[in-house]
Amino acid sequence: MITSFIHRFSSPKSFVEVTARFFSYVMYLGLFLLATGWIWGLAFAPEDAIQGNSYRIIFLHVPASIFAQLIYFFMAVCALMHLVWRVKLAAYLIKSSAPVGALITFIALFSGSIWGIPTWGTWWQWDARITSTLILFIMYLGIITLHSSFSNAEKADRLMSILVVVGVVNIPIIKKSVDWWSTLHQPASITISEAPSIDLSMLYPLLISISGMGLTLIALGILISKLYIITREKTKKWVQNYV
Amino acid sequence: MINLLTHEAFKLRHRLRAWLGPLLIMVLVLIAFPLSIDVSQYDLNKFYFSIIVVSLLVISFLATESIFSEDYEDGSLEQIYLEEKDFYKVVLTKISIYIFFIGIPMSLIGSLFSFANGVAADETPKIFVILTFSTLILFNIFSFGSALSINKGAMLGVLVSLPLALPVIVLLGRAIRTVQYGEGFIEVLSLLAGVGLILAAVMPIIISATLKTHLE
Amino acid sequence: MQLITASNLGYSINENRLFHNLTFSLETGCGLHIKGGNGSGKSTLIRILLGLTSPSKGEVVFFKPNLNISYLGHKNAIKQYLTPLQNLELIFAPSELDDAMTWMQTFGLTKVQDEMTATLSFGQQKKLALIRVLGKSSDLIVLDEPFVGLDDLSRDLVSQFLCSRLADGTSLVLTSHIDPGIPCVELILSEQSND
Repeated sequence: MITSFIHRFSSPKSFVEVTARFFSYVMYLGLFLLATGWIWGLAFAPEDAIQGNSYRIIFLHVPASIFAQLIYFFMAVCALMHLVWRVKLAAYLIKSSAPVGALITFIALFSGSIWGIPTWGTWWQWDARITSTLILFIMYLGIITLHSSFSNAEKADRLMSILVVVGVVNIPIIKKSVDWWSTLHQPASITISEAPSIDLSMLYPLLISISGMGLTLIALGILISKLYIITREKTKKWVQNYV
Repeated sequence: MINLLTHEAFKLRHRLRAWLGPLLIMVLVLIAFPLSIDVSQYDLNKFYFSIIVVSLLVISFLATESIFSEDYEDGSLEQIYLEEKDFYKVVLTKISIYIFFIGIPMSLIGSLFSFANGVAADETPKIFVILTFSTLILFNIFSFGSALSINKGAMLGVLVSLPLALPVIVLLGRAIRTVQYGEGFIEVLSLLAGVGLILAAVMPIIISATLKTHLE
Repeated sequence: MQLITASNLGYSINENRLFHNLTFSLETGCGLHIKGGNGSGKSTLIRILLGLTSPSKGEVVFFKPNLNISYLGHKNAIKQYLTPLQNLELIFAPSELDDAMTWMQTFGLTKVQDEMTATLSFGQQKKLALIRVLGKSSDLIVLDEPFVGLDDLSRDLVSQFLCSRLADGTSLVLTSHIDPGIPCVELILSEQSND
């Protein structure tokens, strides 16, 4: 029952058709929210008492860090669907989300570095969060490289899914272990995890940026996966009709 | 099963490069490290572990690099599959043989070198046990990486298995510190052993699924 | 008696169709010669029959459970760093080793049995690899281009042997560009368009 249900709603064809219907809404709403959040955050939100204006990078940094992980969890769900029910669409979605995930993880690392210079006086610290984000970035690169190194795409799909599932088990282990390791050396003063409670005038633009970035990333993901589906299934009739 | 064990041991024994090579590199690294720093300035017995840990990481990767690819490339792997169908046993055997021939000697080398660099004689066995369980974990992880990237070489292998191996390094570093400071050894050791045994049982399942996909 | 039937087999790589709608059956004691140009999917079909690869469409049914298959593909599955003798010891149980040694003699490999396999010529390595199939008893023999690199004498030996095994009730599946000289049913894989 459940298998036939999944297969009916997971054909690449219906994915392309359904997403085409609301793609533009998602994209415009996402960009609008992102613009609102950023303009509010950069121009109108008050200055931070301690960090001055440099804190304003959180409107980029925090959403990026959140989605760096969320995208991976999304990929892990897809990987399970692919391994258990052999859903092709799930593999297509992993393959298309991985570059988006890598990009956003890179943005999180990079914006963190920029933020680090005025705040901590250094662009890199072996802090628990930064390290686990760096490892996450390596995981994304591994997934992308793995898939692109096989000419037989179906084989590549399966191997990639195995790697993604193993990786998602590894994420909490990495977090736990680097926490354990870094608390041993370092005073807590430079971890960003315990940010002082945030003022509402900063929280609202932050929440808006987060939802804006989420929608924009979904739109980007839809766009990439649509292109990818069309390349993968180019010999199928429906694609030839569609294009 | 015993047949499988003797066969795998026989094959590995005849591939000197595959088992003696990694051990020699390990010895070289451990000798080269003190030569590269100013020994009079640093307290080597505190420092030396870091190079043992890192060389354990690198050499475990080197040692397992061809663990499956050798059989894959010459077609033996598909013959084994046709006879055995159950790759779990094959993978388990291979990893055990590798740990026995390379992993344990490697841990021995590591603990001997740490003894030579100022660790007390009664603590050297502790180091050996820690290193042995770490190689158990690392060999399983890197065998997975090597199975995934079976015909694609080292770069892909590093990329896919490094994220899995880094937590092990943290754990190993922690374990060695408990030996240095003299407390909490049993707790960390049981954690290492637990993780090692779970991985040794679960990883072969994942690796056999990977190998089957490769054979298709 | 039927041994294998394949119905509506189809296989595609990256949505490119290699072959489709293949239906055939193999009886015990019969041979099947798969023919076709380069890249027509002969080896893939063999791997599907072996259960290594799963077909994109259709299915293969085996009528005998736990079918005992000997197989030799493109890859020789012998270890370059061992001697021919050591290779055989890996492949055969001690009780089967005598048969294998007889084949070593027949193929004239006894004089090189203690040299490194890597130093053997291409044909000698192929012969050594073939002993894996020739020296064992099985219900089904599957060979992918077994005659490549063999001299005329060895080819005749292998053909004769395969004929006698067919008469004994063993089934045979093979691909070969050289006429095997064995009574076989032919299955031709032709280039197919994607429509």
